[in-house]
Amino acid sequence: MHPVLTNWRSALLYLATWIPLGCVLGLLVSVSGNLNTLETAAIITPVTIVLAFVCLSPWYVCRSLPLKSAGTFRLFGQHVLAAMVVSAAVLLVARVTASTLTDVRPGLDAQLRMADPVLAVMVALVYLLSIALHYVVIEAQTSRRSELLAREAELRALKAQVNPHFLFNSLNSISALTASDPGRAREMCIQLADFLRTSLRLGQRPSIPFREEIELTRMYLGVEQVRFGQKLQVSLDVAAACADCEVPALLIQPLVENAVKHGIALLDSGGEILMLARMGKDGLQFSIENPYDPAAPSSRNGIGLTNVRQRLEARYGMAARLEVEASDEVYRVTLVLPVRA
Amino acid sequence: MKVVIADDEDLARRLVREYLANETGIEIVAECTNGFEAVKAVTEHRPDVIFLDIQMPKLDGFEALELIERDVAVVFVTAFDQYAMRAFDAAAVDYLLKPFSADRFRSALKKVEQRLGEARPASQSDELRTAARAPGEYLDRIVVKEGTRVHIIPVGKLDYAEAQDDYVGLRSEGKTWLKQQTIGSLEAALNPKRFVRLHRGYIVNLDRITRLEPNTKDTWIAVLTDGSRIPVSRGGYTRFNSLTAG
Repeated sequence: MHPVLTNWRSALLYLATWIPLGCVLGLLVSVSGNLNTLETAAIITPVTIVLAFVCLSPWYVCRSLPLKSAGTFRLFGQHVLAAMVVSAAVLLVARVTASTLTDVRPGLDAQLRMADPVLAVMVALVYLLSIALHYVVIEAQTSRRSELLAREAELRALKAQVNPHFLFNSLNSISALTASDPGRAREMCIQLADFLRTSLRLGQRPSIPFREEIELTRMYLGVEQVRFGQKLQVSLDVAAACADCEVPALLIQPLVENAVKHGIALLDSGGEILMLARMGKDGLQFSIENPYDPAAPSSRNGIGLTNVRQRLEARYGMAARLEVEASDEVYRVTLVLPVRA
Repeated sequence: MKVVIADDEDLARRLVREYLANETGIEIVAECTNGFEAVKAVTEHRPDVIFLDIQMPKLDGFEALELIERDVAVVFVTAFDQYAMRAFDAAAVDYLLKPFSADRFRSALKKVEQRLGEARPASQSDELRTAARAPGEYLDRIVVKEGTRVHIIPVGKLDYAEAQDDYVGLRSEGKTWLKQQTIGSLEAALNPKRFVRLHRGYIVNLDRITRLEPNTKDTWIAVLTDGSRIPVSRGGYTRFNSLTAG
């Protein structure tokens, strides 16, 4: 579907721009064919309407023949040929209209013939102009898309860097365990290595199945549970329908890190992180909530969220949502991604 | 040597305990899991040294240190290296970065022993307080101690601060809290866009000022939303105007 036709407003706006174009065409034809206003309008109206729709066809033609696809001459040749065909077809429409009107206005046929060259050239030029405009639009779209993708990749790379404090604290826990509980120390080494390896691997991909992201979250929380012990409880409920949705890699990881770092870690008795994933009518809905201490010193917890928000915008525009609710005791982040399994 | 360990992570405390077990003459008098407990433990047990984590529930390590009035050697134990230089510039005896080796720990203990032999400058916390912040980063809450109870004042709820000898009186929600601190160091810690030094003895929250009334030739009186009247010096008047004009 042509983008202009995707909604009523843009379609009407497009047709409205053809009114002045039709008037110019009419003026030229009436002068060269010596026609009066009524005669001109009767012929030019159907011609303009046909031309308006024909001029949308370059959307498909231009995309199948990108500017860099063939030699300039060949490309030019093809489009000129198309313009001639369009011109001939439109001329035919004019001729048919005129001949049906000869009963009311004898001689209209012959008069129109005098305007033929002007009409043919104008139609061809308008069509070529439409092709040029379409190339401009398509080019702008592609460059915007690649810009967004590049930004997305940049933000993802930023997030793929493992939080160094998490790493140092985990290593400290391992160091503490080596003397008292070597078996668990080894286990934690392996958990940590698994988490690091997986997060490096996933960080290189633009999108991953949701279940892989959840798996990474599980690994991360597994390591943190060694560190925090009973303080950190986790409840994870993921609907089966979400498992295969393609989601941006490492998108929810910072949300989980925040829940631990700014929530559980700063509470004396800790608490439970609750995660829930469902398929809703707008796509995948993921929420994460944790108890927190509103009086705790606020230490830059905005950075992770800002990064997630920017990535969503780069990837989905306005179609994705990120909502944050902070009550007296519970901090909840809800994420809606316009994705399907 | 009497020791307090303050860290919210069980394993982190276990490690310090393990390293200390290799030493002689060490008595662990308390283990704390948050900043409140650390303050309390130092007051009650009068330790020689405290091993202090920075990120902890309730009060962080720096805030706890502000409230510790006793002379105690402080060794920070943390995974964050960004405060290291500042803590050193101030009076922390040592700064251990997690994870650390037994040797590194022992050298920290050595420094503590040396320090215990010397007479120490009295007010370390004032310097440390100012030093612990990055430039452009200001306090978002002030901790005060009343007896054994700790009170937290979010800076948005501070009406004004008044110098009183070695203390500042902090006026908030109809009450005045006393804190041992100079008004100059408090001024340096507060966001200069929100608080203005109206007088040698007063820092006032800009949001609370309703109007200035002329007093003598070169001085004014600031009237606050709660009706308090604060003297304004000539310098204070200039500072106030340059803030409100911008």
